[in-house]
Amino acid sequence: MRYFLKKIFTLIMTLFIVSVAAFLAFQIIPGDVVGSILGTEATPEREAQLREELGLNDPPVVRYVNWMTDVLKGDLGESYRYSKSMNEMMPVDELIGDKLPVTLWLAALSLVIIVVVSIPLGVFWAKSRNRFVDAFMSVLTQTTMAVPAFFLGILVTYLFGMVFKWFVPGGYVSYEEDFGGFLKYLIFPAVSIAMPKIAMTARFLRNSMLTEMHSDYVRTARSKGCTDRQIMYGHVLRNALMPVVTFLGMIIAEIVAGSIVVEQVFGLPGIGRLLISSISTRDLPVVQILVMYITAVVIIVYFLVDILYRVIDPRISHK
Amino acid sequence: MVHIENLSVSFEDTDAVKNVNLNIAPGEILGVVGESGSGKSVTALTLMGLVSDEAVITSGKVVLDGEVLAEVGKPRDKALYRRYQGSRMSMIFQEPMTSLNPTKTVGAQIEEMLKLHTDLDKEARKNRVIESMESVGLKEAAKLYDCYPHELSGGMRQRVMIAMAVILHPDVIVADEPTTALDVTIQNQIITLLKEINTKEKNAMLFITHDLNLARRICDKIAVMKNGKVVESGKTEEIFEHPKEAYTKKLIEAVPSRMKPRGDGECEAVQGEADKKNAEPVVQVDNLNVYYNEKSGKLFGGNKRRCVVSDANFVINKGEILGLVGESGCGKSSLSKAVLGMNKNIEGSVRHSSVRPQMIFQDPYSSLNPSRTVSWLLQEPLRAAGKLDKSLQMSKEDRRAAAVEMLRMVGLDESYMNRKPSQLSGGQRQRISIGQALITRPGLVIADEPVSALDVTLQAQIMELMRRLQEELGVSYLFISHDINVVYQMCDRIMVMKAGRIVEQGKTEDIFNNPKEAYTELLLRES
Amino acid sequence: MQKKEQQKGKVNSVPHKLVKWLKNGNPYLWIGLFMTGVAVGLAVLGIFWTPYSTTEMSAAERFVGPSLKHLFGTDNFGRDIFSRVMEGAGITILISSLVVLFSGTLGILIGAVTGYMGGVVDELVMRVTDAVNGFPSILLALVMISIMGSGNQNLILSLGIVFTPSFVRIVRSEFIRLRDADYISRARLMGVGRLRILFVHILPNIFSTFWVSVMIGFNNGILAESGMSYLGIGVQPPEASLGKMLSDAQGYLMKAPWYALAPGLTIVWIVLGFSLLSEGIRRKS
Repeated sequence: MRYFLKKIFTLIMTLFIVSVAAFLAFQIIPGDVVGSILGTEATPEREAQLREELGLNDPPVVRYVNWMTDVLKGDLGESYRYSKSMNEMMPVDELIGDKLPVTLWLAALSLVIIVVVSIPLGVFWAKSRNRFVDAFMSVLTQTTMAVPAFFLGILVTYLFGMVFKWFVPGGYVSYEEDFGGFLKYLIFPAVSIAMPKIAMTARFLRNSMLTEMHSDYVRTARSKGCTDRQIMYGHVLRNALMPVVTFLGMIIAEIVAGSIVVEQVFGLPGIGRLLISSISTRDLPVVQILVMYITAVVIIVYFLVDILYRVIDPRISHK
Repeated sequence: MVHIENLSVSFEDTDAVKNVNLNIAPGEILGVVGESGSGKSVTALTLMGLVSDEAVITSGKVVLDGEVLAEVGKPRDKALYRRYQGSRMSMIFQEPMTSLNPTKTVGAQIEEMLKLHTDLDKEARKNRVIESMESVGLKEAAKLYDCYPHELSGGMRQRVMIAMAVILHPDVIVADEPTTALDVTIQNQIITLLKEINTKEKNAMLFITHDLNLARRICDKIAVMKNGKVVESGKTEEIFEHPKEAYTKKLIEAVPSRMKPRGDGECEAVQGEADKKNAEPVVQVDNLNVYYNEKSGKLFGGNKRRCVVSDANFVINKGEILGLVGESGCGKSSLSKAVLGMNKNIEGSVRHSSVRPQMIFQDPYSSLNPSRTVSWLLQEPLRAAGKLDKSLQMSKEDRRAAAVEMLRMVGLDESYMNRKPSQLSGGQRQRISIGQALITRPGLVIADEPVSALDVTLQAQIMELMRRLQEELGVSYLFISHDINVVYQMCDRIMVMKAGRIVEQGKTEDIFNNPKEAYTELLLRES
Repeated sequence: MQKKEQQKGKVNSVPHKLVKWLKNGNPYLWIGLFMTGVAVGLAVLGIFWTPYSTTEMSAAERFVGPSLKHLFGTDNFGRDIFSRVMEGAGITILISSLVVLFSGTLGILIGAVTGYMGGVVDELVMRVTDAVNGFPSILLALVMISIMGSGNQNLILSLGIVFTPSFVRIVRSEFIRLRDADYISRARLMGVGRLRILFVHILPNIFSTFWVSVMIGFNNGILAESGMSYLGIGVQPPEASLGKMLSDAQGYLMKAPWYALAPGLTIVWIVLGFSLLSEGIRRKS
C-alpha cells in the first residue's frame, strides 16, 4: 500500500515538473507572439494592449500559477491562430476536444494489434527448431524494423487505398457518427504503426524465451518428466513474458510518436496533425497543452505498467 | 539397479565421457569424484536423459532395472525417458535458487510431480506434498507451500528440491554437487538427510562431488574420474587407505586436511621468527565497527545504518599469515574492505605501517581487466605507484623487466607477457593476480578466498605459491576462507568470525586442539 | 622460435587480418557490409557528382518512369530522382552521423562520471534522462525545433539532445556494473587516479556494448531525421532529403508510385544494412 502511495506521489510530482518544463520552454521561445498575431497591423499601442490582455507582463511565477489554475479548472486558454468567429478566438479545449479521442483510439488499437500478433509470433519463432524458419523470421523482422511507419503508411495507402480500394485515402468518419466506420479508418494507420513494433516485440520475446529455456529450472522440469509442451507453457512462457511487459511499456512512447507522424500520412484529424500545424504556425497555447496531454498520457501508462508488473512478478510483490 | 556399461559420450568431436562403467545397487551410494571438466556431470545427465541434444552416445549403454534406457546407435527415446524421469529416477541439482522456477510457489512445483505421474485429486496431492516437505525437515510446511523460492533460505530451497525428488519414492536419485552452494553447517544437515533417505528408502544414489572429504563421509563406493575416464573405483575406505593410481593419490594429498602435518619444518621456523618480531605490527585494528547504509523503504526516511562488523580487535605482524574463518555473510569481506579503507563507514581505528596493502580476490575471471595484456596488467601497479610518488618512478624498460621477473616468480614465463586474460586458464589468472598484488612489494596482502574457485590440485599449487612468495618477499597475509582446512594449511594464527563478531582468535594449533568457543568446535566438527 | 614469431607478424598484416575477419564472419556481416557499402559509397559520391543536376527542372520529362536513362524515374518537376536520392541519402547519413557523434560523446562523458561516482548528481541526471527517455522522442525534437527554429544545425542539436539520454543510460549502467568489478577495486587499491580508472581501465571494456548502441542510435537517427523532414520540420528545401521527397511524392501516388518508392526503399536499405551489420558483428563476438 505504501508503495502505491509513493508511486502516486511520484506520478503527481512528475506531472508537475512536466508542466513547469512545458511552461518554461514556451517562455523562452524567441520571436514575439504579439508581433506574430498582429502581423502587419502592429502598432506600439495595440502591441502593449494585447500584451496586457494576454497577461504577458506578469512575473513568470504568477503566470504559471494563473495558467495552471485555469488548466485545472478546465479552461485551457485560447488559440492564437484559430478563430471561432470574427472577434472570438477558438478556446483550446474545443479545438482539442474532438481530436484527442482519434489519437487515443489509434494508439490503443496499435497496442492491441502489437500484443495480439507479436506474442504468438514470438512463441512460434522460439519453438521452431527449423533453421530455415529461424533465418526467415530473422530476416523478416529485421526488414520490418527498418521500414519507417510513415513509409509503411504510404505503401498501405497505395496498396489498400488506391489499388484494392478498401478505404478512401484521406477519408474519415467521425466516431460519433459511425463507430464501426471510424474503427475501419483507424485499422490501416494502426497497422502501419504496429508493424515495426510487432517485429521488435516478437524478436524480444523470442530471445527472452530462448534465454529462459537454457535456465536451470527448465532442466529441473525436464528431470521431473515434463513434456516440451508442458515446459514451454507451464514454466518458460510466464518467465519470458515478464521482461516483455516492461518492453511494451517502453514502446508506448514510440507508439504515440508514431501516431503523430502516421496521422499526417492518412490525413486523420487527431492531435498529431494539430500539433504539427500548431508548431509550424507557432500557435503556442495549443502546442503547450498538447505536449502536456501527450506526456501525461505516457506517464500514466508507465505508471500502470509498473503496477501490472508488480502484480505478475512474485519476486517484487512479495518483498 | 543402475548399470552403466562402457559408456562414451561426445559433443561434436570432443569426447566428454570415455568408456565409463558404473554399477549402483539399491540402498547404495556411489560417489563420482573429479575436478571440473572430468565428465562426472555429463555421466549423470546422460543417465537422467537430460544431456543436451548435441551429445551423442558413441559406445555402451545405460540400463536401469533391466531396461535399456540409452544405447549406442539408438536415437534418444524421450517418451521412454519420461516414464522414468520423476517417478523412478529423480535429480537434485547444485544451485537450488536457479533450479526452481522463480515465478511458481514451491508447493506447486513439488505438486507438479504428482500431477505428472499420479491421478490423485487436488486435496490428496496437497496433503502428499506437505507430508513430503515435512519428511525432509521443513517446518511449517503448510505455510511454506505458498512461498516463492526467493523467500526461502538456500538450505530450505535445497530441502524443497529433495522433497520434490523423493515424493514419488524413486529407485534412483542423482545428486549433482547438492551442497556446494551451501554453508558448511547446512551442508552437513543436507548430507545427513540424504544418507537417511538412502538408508530408509533403499534407493540407488549417485552422488557427484568435487569434494573428496564429502564423498568419504557419505558414499559406500567411489569412482574417481579424470578427463572423461574412470581412473579408479572401489569401496570408499579402500580408495582412501590404499589408492592405486597416481592421480587418486595426488587428489587425496592435495585436499587440505588436518590429518596431515602442517607445512614443513621451515614454516615452524618462520613462525618462531614472527613471534620474536611481535613488536612490528603491519596493521593494528582497535574496536572496529563497520557499517553499511541500507536504503529504507520510506520516501524521506533516508538511510538506515546497519552494523555488519562489531568490535573487532586484532593485529597482523610482519611476515605473518593470519587466517579469518567464517560462514558466508558473517562479515569477513566487510572486515577486509574496512581494513583496506575501501569502506569508510567505520568507527574505531585501523593503523597501517605498510603502504598500499593489496588484495587478491576469489574469482580469477573477474579480477583481471579483460581488455589488457598480462604485461600491461603487471606494469600498471608500478605506473600508479610512480605517479603517486615521484621517487618510485621507473623507466619503461625497468618496468618491463620487473614484470618479467614477477611473471617468473609466480611460475610463468615471458611468453605469457602479451596474452590477454581470456587466453589464460583459471589457475594462470590467479597467478597473475598474485603477481599483480605483489609487484609493488606491499607489506600486507588481503586474500579473500583466493583458492575457493579452483580445483583441488590447483588449490594446492596456488597455496604453495602464496606461501613461497610470502617467505621470499616477507609480506603478511590476511587469509580469508570459509574452509577451515585450507586455513589450517596456510596460517600461523586464526580468527573465527560469526555474525559480525570475532568469537575466537589464537595460534592455529591452539584453535584446532583446544577450541574455546562452541561455534569453533561446531565448525571443526562439521568439516 | 624467434623466426616463427616474425613470420607470424608478417602474416598478420592489416589486409590479411581483414580477410580473415571477413572469412570468420556470417551472412549477416557480409550482406550488411555490402548494403551499407553501397549506400554510403553512393551517398559520398553524391557530394561530388550526380548523374543529373538535382535542381534543374525539365517540363518535358515530368513523371518519366524508371528506365536505364533515369534509374528511379523523374519527379513532378522532371528532376532525376536517382540523383536526388543520392544527395538526400548523403544529407540523411551525414546528419545522423553527427547526431550520433554528438550524443555518443556526451553520453560517454555524462554516463561515465555519473555511473562511477553515483550520489546526488547521478540521481538527478538519472531522473532527467528517464523523463526524456520516456518522452516520445520525435515529439521532443519537434518541440525543440519549434523553440529554436528550423535549420540543419538546430535539427542536429535537437536530435542530439534527444538521443543523449539513451547513451547515458547504457554507458552509465556499464560503468555501474564495472565500477564494483574486482579488477577495478584492485586498480583503486593500487592508487590509480580517478580519470585513469574511468577512461583507461573501464572504458575499453564497454566498447562492444557501446558499439551496438551506436549502430542502433544511427538507425534511429535516420528514422527520426526522415520522419521530421517528412513532416516538413527537418531539412528545409531546396536541399534534397529523403523524408521531404516522400511527402512530396505522396500527392502523386497514383501517377508516379516510383517517386515515393525510391526514397522510401532507400531509407529501408540504409537502416536494414546497418542493423544487419551490427547483428553480424554481435554474432561474431
